[in-house]
Amino acid sequence: MNSHKITLIRQISRLQRNTRNLHIWLTLYGVLILFLLFTVSPFIINILAAFKNNTEISKGVFRLPEEWLWTNFVKAWMQARFSSYFRSSTIVAISVVSVSSLLSALSGYAFARMKFHLSRYLFIVLLLGMMVPQESYIINLYYQLRKIGLTDTYWGLILPQIGMSVCFGSFWMRAAFSEIPGDLEDAAKMDGCSSFDILWRVMLPLVLPAVLTMAVLFFVWTWNDFLLALVMVTSESLRTLPLGLALFQGRYARDIPLTSAGATIVSLPIIILYLTFQRKFMRGVTTGAVKE
Amino acid sequence: MITLAKGRKILRGTASQSWVAYLYIFPSIAIYAYFILWPIIQTIRLSVFDWDGLTEPVFIGMKNFIELTQDQILHQALLNNLLFIPFFTIFPIAIALFLTALLTRKKVKGFNFFRAAFFLPQVMAMVAVGIVWRWIYNPTFGPLNQTLTFLGLENWTRPWLGDFSFALPAVGLAATWVQYGFSMVLFISGVQHIDENLYDAAKIDGANEFHQFWNVTLPGIRNELSVAMVTSIIAALRIFDLVYVTTRGSPGMKTMVASLWLYRNAFQINRVGYASAIAVLLTLIILVLSYVLLSEGSKR
Amino acid sequence: MKALTRFVCYLVLVAMVLTACAPAATAVTEPTKASIQEVTLVVWDVLASPGETAIIEKLQTDFLAAHPGVKIDRNAKSFDDMKATAKLGLSSPDGPDVAQINQGLSDMGALVKAGLLENLTPYAQKYGWDKKISGGLIARNSFSTDGKMFGQGNLYGVSPTSELVGVFYRKDKFEEYGLNIPKTFAEFEDILKTLKEKGETPIVAGGLGGLAATHFYAEILNVYLSDRAYLDDLIFARNDQSWDTEVQQKAAEKLQEWTENGYFTKGFEGTSYDDQGSLLENGDAVMMLAGSWWSSTLAASPISEKFGFFMLPPENEGAYKMTVGGTSPAYAIRANSTKKTLAAEYINWMISESSAKVWANNGTIPLTYVDPSTMPAGSLIADLLTAWNTINQKDEVGHYLDWATPTFWDTLTASLEELMAFKITPEEFTMKLETDYSAYLTSLK
Repeated sequence: MNSHKITLIRQISRLQRNTRNLHIWLTLYGVLILFLLFTVSPFIINILAAFKNNTEISKGVFRLPEEWLWTNFVKAWMQARFSSYFRSSTIVAISVVSVSSLLSALSGYAFARMKFHLSRYLFIVLLLGMMVPQESYIINLYYQLRKIGLTDTYWGLILPQIGMSVCFGSFWMRAAFSEIPGDLEDAAKMDGCSSFDILWRVMLPLVLPAVLTMAVLFFVWTWNDFLLALVMVTSESLRTLPLGLALFQGRYARDIPLTSAGATIVSLPIIILYLTFQRKFMRGVTTGAVKE
Repeated sequence: MITLAKGRKILRGTASQSWVAYLYIFPSIAIYAYFILWPIIQTIRLSVFDWDGLTEPVFIGMKNFIELTQDQILHQALLNNLLFIPFFTIFPIAIALFLTALLTRKKVKGFNFFRAAFFLPQVMAMVAVGIVWRWIYNPTFGPLNQTLTFLGLENWTRPWLGDFSFALPAVGLAATWVQYGFSMVLFISGVQHIDENLYDAAKIDGANEFHQFWNVTLPGIRNELSVAMVTSIIAALRIFDLVYVTTRGSPGMKTMVASLWLYRNAFQINRVGYASAIAVLLTLIILVLSYVLLSEGSKR
Repeated sequence: MKALTRFVCYLVLVAMVLTACAPAATAVTEPTKASIQEVTLVVWDVLASPGETAIIEKLQTDFLAAHPGVKIDRNAKSFDDMKATAKLGLSSPDGPDVAQINQGLSDMGALVKAGLLENLTPYAQKYGWDKKISGGLIARNSFSTDGKMFGQGNLYGVSPTSELVGVFYRKDKFEEYGLNIPKTFAEFEDILKTLKEKGETPIVAGGLGGLAATHFYAEILNVYLSDRAYLDDLIFARNDQSWDTEVQQKAAEKLQEWTENGYFTKGFEGTSYDDQGSLLENGDAVMMLAGSWWSSTLAASPISEKFGFFMLPPENEGAYKMTVGGTSPAYAIRANSTKKTLAAEYINWMISESSAKVWANNGTIPLTYVDPSTMPAGSLIADLLTAWNTINQKDEVGHYLDWATPTFWDTLTASLEELMAFKITPEEFTMKLETDYSAYLTSLK
């Protein structure tokens, strides 16, 4: 009789516990989902808007469009010249990412594995570059580049951004290379490898994940840049996507679906890149910030 | 014997390594120096001149800096930057802490999904963020007012971006929306480094979830907290893209910010020397704040 | 490893190639292998919208047909672009021979001061440009040789098209309520009152950014001014005038009165300028007090025949009243251009009667006179042409107030926003304007 009661009591208390747990879980997920909605709804309504036509916009935000109009995207691409902006952004981003990655690997390696007098000071100088805001040099950069004719050119966008990127890049690659134990290098040296060979054949493959993370970050920062493009670029043919989108407002502003399509085109490549490389992204952003 | 040989090898290596090291570093330093460092130095130089970008610069000593102290628009702008700070730091960090607590103390299904989703706004170009939120706040066609009306809360509707009281908070909300993902990811990675034993010890002492969070988690992510604070405060001081695309400083300077005023002076009003002075001021503020906050953080 | 190296090198190579192939667009144009017969004229203009581009290309084709051996290298920029790059371009020997420059001290004036613009007075006399343009218009494109005095001296620019600010209205709504085009200001205010009583929004307003309010205020001010001397003095920085005057306070009061009566779109403070057209089209408002640059947008609307235009009327019927307006940025000639004669020919072509007809047929008001009766009766362009011809002939072309000082745009828009939000009184409003202006006048001395 007693043991039966005890089992029953145990069962009831377990049920109570589970119900309480259930409540907790429900609240937990409920809150998470609420925030999820808040985070994601601007994206969703923007994409929905891109598929509607102008009159539908005023009718209902979360309503699905009657017809999924791809025409807005086509119009943005062709008439509103987003194809040109896309090309510019791609050219600049790929150039910046490839060159910056290469240079950062080189200097990061030097800082990490080589001894030379000015090592410390040069590194601090580069670190400083990470802390100063764009606003501190953008004005003069414009006039400087104007004097040598680089304003309103791709170089005027690429080179400064390489300069900005190698600061973080050198710091990042230095940290990455530092993690590799020294024996590897010594072994390679004893095998008679030249210093460059050591870098290319031995060290670099080991830090490839770090390089990839860095490259992804460079790509996003470059793609999303606005102030530099705003100051440097005046010809429409050189406009990058953020610049094109911002100035695009003026001319086609009353066409909300078109603008939404434009905003989607600007964000989509980055979102795809992000979803592919999620983990790297977050690791890059957080470790980079903390190590600072 | 071998050690000696090794030692000598390393020494020799160092000597010949020196020039190689400089060779490797040279391209980075060169580009950085020419495109970033030199313009910074020039900006400092220009701040004591009066220049319209076209004719000859005229040396005027500290006049620009004196004008800084009298410039009402600049004062309002700096005040606005200050007002933006809560939207970049306090609110996002609070939300981030809350979300971190939700996601890390128990095994949540879909952890990766939630983490990825909350971080998503961070990767969008600020320009795109501004464009989307500008539409959200549109008084006639925008989702916010439409939803409010739909819910029967029509007298809560406002001309958000044009409202003297709500324009800044409206832009601030967009900033918060972008920012909490960053801090959250930071905190989550920090939490993962906290020793489980600390939590067990706390549980034994009878601490509930909230106490555990307060006494174990928070101190454990001290570093991450200070990093989050510093980066977000700097972001608040540098805000440009978002304001440019949404309000450009309207209404009545209520959303004007330092970097936008700097830009207007340099490239539209053609007062390059004065704009350089603003740049110097802004940079000093940012550098000093960073230094103070970071050393505070590491001390604690 | 080798694969990675190859990949990286490939990436870098691709990047370099793409950069090299991409049009690294600068102002620099044709290689200097110009044959004796072939001359290339470099033109920079701000006619970048699709509609304007079509018109300019037609006009240029005709010009080229009439001038064999000439090539035109045209670079169309946005208004902001031009502002930022004009100085650079005009100081360069490879720069534009002809460029469209914005009027005003900070743009045209600065360029004159730097000696970059050619004096066009001789050409004006040669081609008879001075007969086509009212005195007021000539003044606003004139500067003293040192670029300091605005509104007098030599002519430095001539514009191809014009613009003015007035009231676009829904003809169908006017008919519905039995309203006629007002001949006096009082009649206009009656219309406002009637529409409001009927539950309509009388005037659409997109206040975000501040542009719309500057036009509202300027137009109301114009109603109360009986001649142009005061405003001319203010804009051209002559005779130490003040903004803190009774007439300005009266205008400010009127603007507040209209706001309070709810004559403007609800939520106008947060509505963007460019939404005005849509709102007017949707019937969310009956009138739009804005510039004629809206004409092509409205003409392209499916209900375009429902739009009409009239100028804000004076207090007394037929009295003198300025109307905010002006010309598009003016064609100017680079001072050290080697093709000045050709450049002048180009400009003359662009403002000729035949070119003017093309502009008018496409819905834009040209500078040069076009007979409104040659346009479809009752069309928007006919209304606009009639209005423009009137103010051009009667020297009633008014000013854009933000021209007063380099910082006036910020001061004016911010103060107007505060005024219309009832944060400041009309007296405080005019005081704010005057503070900016007097500081500016002092700096000029």
